Amino acid sequence: MIAALPEIPVAPVPAVRNVGSRPAAVVNAPAQRSDHALMLAVRDGELDALGELFERHHGRLFGYLAKLTGDRSAAEDITQIVFQRMLKYRHTYRDDGSFTAWMYHLARRCATDHYRKANAAPQATDPADLHDHADEAPHAGHRAAARDDHALLHTALARLDRDDREVLLLARFQELSFAEISGILECSVGAAKVRAHRALRQLRDLYFRLQQEAAD
Amino acid sequence: MNCQRAREVFPELLDARTAATAHLDARTHLAGCPDCQRDFATLSRTADALGALPDPAPSPRLRRNFYALLEEEKNSAASVRATVERSRRTSVWRWILAPLAGAALVAGGFFAGQRVAAPAAGYSPALAQTDAASRRELEDLRRKVDTMGQLVGYSLLQQQQRPTNDRLRGVLTSALRADENPDDRVINELISALALDPSVNVRLRALDGLFPHADREVVRAGVLASLPREENPIVQVSMIDFLATARDAEARPALEKLVLNEGADASVRTAARRALAQL
Repeated sequence: MIAALPEIPVAPVPAVRNVGSRPAAVVNAPAQRSDHALMLAVRDGELDALGELFERHHGRLFGYLAKLTGDRSAAEDITQIVFQRMLKYRHTYRDDGSFTAWMYHLARRCATDHYRKANAAPQATDPADLHDHADEAPHAGHRAAARDDHALLHTALARLDRDDREVLLLARFQELSFAEISGILECSVGAAKVRAHRALRQLRDLYFRLQQEAAD
Repeated sequence: MNCQRAREVFPELLDARTAATAHLDARTHLAGCPDCQRDFATLSRTADALGALPDPAPSPRLRRNFYALLEEEKNSAASVRATVERSRRTSVWRWILAPLAGAALVAGGFFAGQRVAAPAAGYSPALAQTDAASRRELEDLRRKVDTMGQLVGYSLLQQQQRPTNDRLRGVLTSALRADENPDDRVINELISALALDPSVNVRLRALDGLFPHADREVVRAGVLASLPREENPIVQVSMIDFLATARDAEARPALEKLVLNEGADASVRTAARRALAQL
């Protein structure tokens, strides 16, 4: 069940930021609207603007969720639900809000719902869905066996507590400030920094231990 | 700066956004501390490996589903907008049309009523027959109602033990019916009320009810018979006036007796004298 979302307390940010890894030509286009402006347009009824936001962010969001859940199919479903909720709760988007922080806040809620459902009633993946995945690489565990460095890191990530994995991924991959991360995680900026630092140290310990085990 | 303080800021030194701007003390410490250098190096390698992880690409299904969802939402929003607009337009028309429709309804009713109730110059025979039958039926009903009213009055008069108001109402009803349709039974009851009712008001009203029928001998006889028994001066004076107005010569002995009666009220004797003069 999708719960109703309250207004999300996130720190105000400058209107133009977080253009990510988009091509420079697109970034520097003079008529380019910021994420915030686009989301305000969506809120005011210009629903097509969400298509632009989807194109800008769905890849990065999917990557974050895939690393967070370790499950590509679940990551796709959650990404879909996040954009669905953006439409549903567009009226709650604030004038002084940050679109990225809002999006990751929604993503966090959706991921929590996903974990709750998964724990309550595990469901088998539909084999038909697997054919749609662009990356047909083997599971991270198989690659760990092949001493693949990325696979070792995936395994280390998977062994972190979910909260530690979450803060680390937000801090290292999503180009969010700690002020924004603290808003998403609903904690203080100092607590967010401490948690990110601790998570990185734990990941390092796990990662080098796995490397050592693989070398032996 | 000691090792602990330096290691607290390692995450910021590892972050490209913050590394170049501050933490000079930590950098200085790091340059001269082999333990911290090893710690920083391993953290740096981990962070680099993390940054080098390839971003998996979603399947085309995600984009397909999203745009289907967006289209659905747009249609839904357009439908809602259309409904709201239609409702708004309907509301405006309702404000305009409702009074007009009301006025048209009233006018239609008026004309229809005129058409039905208007006197028809060219009635058809069937319609005339129906009209005559209706009139007969109406007269029959009116008679029944009259009879019913008389019965009610009669019944009230018969019940002397009932409250004065009821008796008074009965007398008034009888007087009204007697005025419209004189009936011996009703006249008798009025005379009885005049003679026997204990209430002055009832007796006075009964006398009033008998006034229109003063030309009838039975009425004059009834009033004359009641006069010697009457003790109330007001009723006595009214009876004397009644008899004088009716020019009832048979009342003369009774009036003379009153004039001579010293025990009678002065107004009664005066009224009797005046009546005798009229007769």
